[in-house]
Amino acid sequence: MLSLSSYFSVTYLALILPVTVVLYAVLPQRFRRLVLLAASYIFFWAVSEKLLVFLLAATCSIHYFGLWLADMQRESDACIAAAPKEQRKELRRQALRKQRVVLAFAIGSQLGTLLVLKYTPFFTSNINSLLQFAGSSVQFEIPAFVMPIGISFYTMQAMSYLFDVYRKIIPADRNLFRLALFMSFFPQIMEGPICRYSETAEQLWEAPKMQYQNFLSGIQRIFYGVMKKLVVADRLNLFIKNIFSGYENYDGFVIAVAAVCYTLQLYMDFSGTMDLVIGSGEIFGITMPENFKRPFFSASISEFWKRWHITLGAWFKDYIFYPMSMSKPLKKLTVKARKKLGNHFGPLIAGTIALFCVWLSNGLWHGAGWHYIFFGMYHFALILCGSIFEPFALKITGKLHISRSSRPYRCMQIIRTGILVCIGELFFRAHGLRAGLVMFKKMVTDFRLTTVWDQSFFTLGMDRHDFLITAVFVVFLFIIGIYQEKGVVLRQCLARRNVCVQYLCFYALIMFVVIFGAYGRGYVPVDPMYAGF
Amino acid sequence: MDNRLIEILEEIQPEVDYETCNDLVDGHYLNSLAILSLIAELEEEYDITIPTVEIVPDNFNSAEGIWNMIQRLQEEE
Amino acid sequence: MIYVKRGIGILTFLLGLTGLLLVTSSVFVPKNNTEESGMEEVSANGILGEKENTIDVLIVGDSESYASISPMQLWRDAGYTAYVTGTSAQTLDYSLQMVKRAFLTQAPKMVILETNAVYRDVSGEKAMISRLGEYFSIFQYHNRWKHIRWDDFKGDVNYTWTNDFKGYRHSKAVKSCEKKDYMKETSEIADIPEGNMEYVKEIKNLCDEHGAKLLLLRTPSTLNWNYAKHNGVKKMAEELGCEQIDMNLMDEEVQIDWEKDTRDKGDHLNDYGAEKVTRVLTEYLKETGLFQDHRKDSVYAQWNESLKRYTNVTGL
Repeated sequence: MLSLSSYFSVTYLALILPVTVVLYAVLPQRFRRLVLLAASYIFFWAVSEKLLVFLLAATCSIHYFGLWLADMQRESDACIAAAPKEQRKELRRQALRKQRVVLAFAIGSQLGTLLVLKYTPFFTSNINSLLQFAGSSVQFEIPAFVMPIGISFYTMQAMSYLFDVYRKIIPADRNLFRLALFMSFFPQIMEGPICRYSETAEQLWEAPKMQYQNFLSGIQRIFYGVMKKLVVADRLNLFIKNIFSGYENYDGFVIAVAAVCYTLQLYMDFSGTMDLVIGSGEIFGITMPENFKRPFFSASISEFWKRWHITLGAWFKDYIFYPMSMSKPLKKLTVKARKKLGNHFGPLIAGTIALFCVWLSNGLWHGAGWHYIFFGMYHFALILCGSIFEPFALKITGKLHISRSSRPYRCMQIIRTGILVCIGELFFRAHGLRAGLVMFKKMVTDFRLTTVWDQSFFTLGMDRHDFLITAVFVVFLFIIGIYQEKGVVLRQCLARRNVCVQYLCFYALIMFVVIFGAYGRGYVPVDPMYAGF
Repeated sequence: MDNRLIEILEEIQPEVDYETCNDLVDGHYLNSLAILSLIAELEEEYDITIPTVEIVPDNFNSAEGIWNMIQRLQEEE
Repeated sequence: MIYVKRGIGILTFLLGLTGLLLVTSSVFVPKNNTEESGMEEVSANGILGEKENTIDVLIVGDSESYASISPMQLWRDAGYTAYVTGTSAQTLDYSLQMVKRAFLTQAPKMVILETNAVYRDVSGEKAMISRLGEYFSIFQYHNRWKHIRWDDFKGDVNYTWTNDFKGYRHSKAVKSCEKKDYMKETSEIADIPEGNMEYVKEIKNLCDEHGAKLLLLRTPSTLNWNYAKHNGVKKMAEELGCEQIDMNLMDEEVQIDWEKDTRDKGDHLNDYGAEKVTRVLTEYLKETGLFQDHRKDSVYAQWNESLKRYTNVTGL
């Protein structure tokens, strides 16, 4: 029996992916798409077994509702076109209202499944504590549901498909298989990127012919991801686990290092997985949207979220932020407020309400727990503060004659953003909100370097060699990042060099993973961090 | 193109040359709040309703893009 | 034409990679079987330092094996030489590796597999790394990059260290166990994890090649064993055509006292329990008639030295 819990497993890298690639390479087009679909379903079966029915149900449901919406749209369009001009507006309004009911029902069934499976235990336990607090002896039993892995990701894709059909951005898909492939494409089903129908569905169904160059650069990218995960993310794991589970025993310095390490681990794990995922797609000639764009070069938190887990942020922006802030009541509010408060603060009120909903959803999306909600609210507050204080910051820097585009100022912003992000991730990782608060307090009030002086710091799960190799790797990525920020596409440059140089790069990449990877004796393979969300 | 549109844009975000700039959104010149402000103003000025669908970078990356969108929406009214 | 060119390209690339892996492997492989030179599991790998062809019985398995069988007692009572290459939480991939390693320099007449390891899952990653490790030891010893010295580049391997306890890890701790009726008879058969059967088969084939007998032995443990697992191993032994002994069903001969003979509430035996298990095993080995008493043989003089030190430390 095939079983699988990570893209970084032998089953995926040495079995499912190569077999699919070989079949894909030798078969003609009309079979290639079926190869992808079959591989996707086998993969999902290997991960979730019987829970495959949830994916099937979601796919059939959006297929059905999509077509229904399209039918309604066609009918009403014909009706409107036939009607005299002055009635059209009213007819359009009526038609939209009907379509909205269908849409609400379709979205409700998707969202409902996700909510029930993911959040029931959280809500019941909170209701229980409320009841207890109110002195009632009634307590509900907390149900334990099993969630199919990847549900948080494919549900987002399903909902975006429905919204896009409703908005007439894409036509509803009659082909159930094409839709099924869009929903289930195996490299991305577990951890994203969250793709839009318009981005990948056609490509996947097209199943382009395999190209040697794509094949090579795909493999390169996969190795790059494996390197991030094996050399850094998994190495940091033991240290982070020790500190976060026994935080009472450590001083502020150790906790601060752990917070930075966790942020690093999350980045290396998630962006490494994305390299592997997008690289896998590349082999088949499928282009998936990028999920990371060097987030640690961001000057502000709001910029950070445009560069970290990009597809999730874009989803919230397109399907929550704008629809909410442009809804009738909020639009009216904006118009009124602008007249009184001006261009900067005018839209802030409506924007804030929408932003609040975005961040509440973002926090909850990551998991059912108060510390996740806190994590969302933390970023909400930071972005809000950024918006409120922007004019003042402009004034102050103007008066002090500080150029906002100068390098030192930008570096200062980047470092500040980095620190704020690490603090947020501290709460994200902590075992509950209370632990997070205690850890944060320690970081501020109990900051000592004694563990470094007496060397005990290097016995907490990572020795000095481990820290050294991590630092070397981070510097390496940083230098690559600087080049990428300048717009250099390193892999294209490499592809233009002669074969020997390319070979050497490949060798270096492979040997680096083989020697410095945190695998084998003394290391435990770490489960993918984002698949659980 | 309408001069009034450039005026509106300059009122909201003065530090940009709207005749030439074509990455207003992608280049982070207009943030989401500025776009909310802009939409409110445009709807009043040109008597149109801008639906959510229209809020895509393509429509807002340049003054020309915004102008094309306005004309399209006016025709549809 | 383009395909030929690409084919040649890929082939050259792989050849180069193989070369690179071989070179780094020779650097990374430990040059001695001591902890300082980077050897893993030194207690078990002490066997590498034993004189050639002096080991009669090789024992592999997880912690149950090194907690229950004391080769020094076997030497004292019968003059047979045994070595326990069991390691904690050993999985069968490592058991196989230990058997292979042993057969390189030793010619044991019997290999004993402690069967608790049979039920331990070997993950795909682990299996692959140990397979690769057989050809390129870099995969097994890559973590030695932290301690590489100049000597490592010279590449001469010379094992010098031996272990007086011959792999046995003694303990006098007593934590009695309450649950004693863990072997309730049943017809259920516990499934042996996939792939593990293949490992045991491979071990069996190796034994056959080298003219050794394979014995599947289960030492007493209330925490890790039950009748369904017994049935599983019994079935496996029948399929492989090898002998199996389950001491959990031999109360009368072994006479384990679960109040006194376990170090951690029935998980592992202590010195007193091991004494009983080894006694029964000694009788079994005598009956096979395969082995000779080496106690007076000068080649084995070292073993008498070891026995003195063993007795001093353990008082057994």
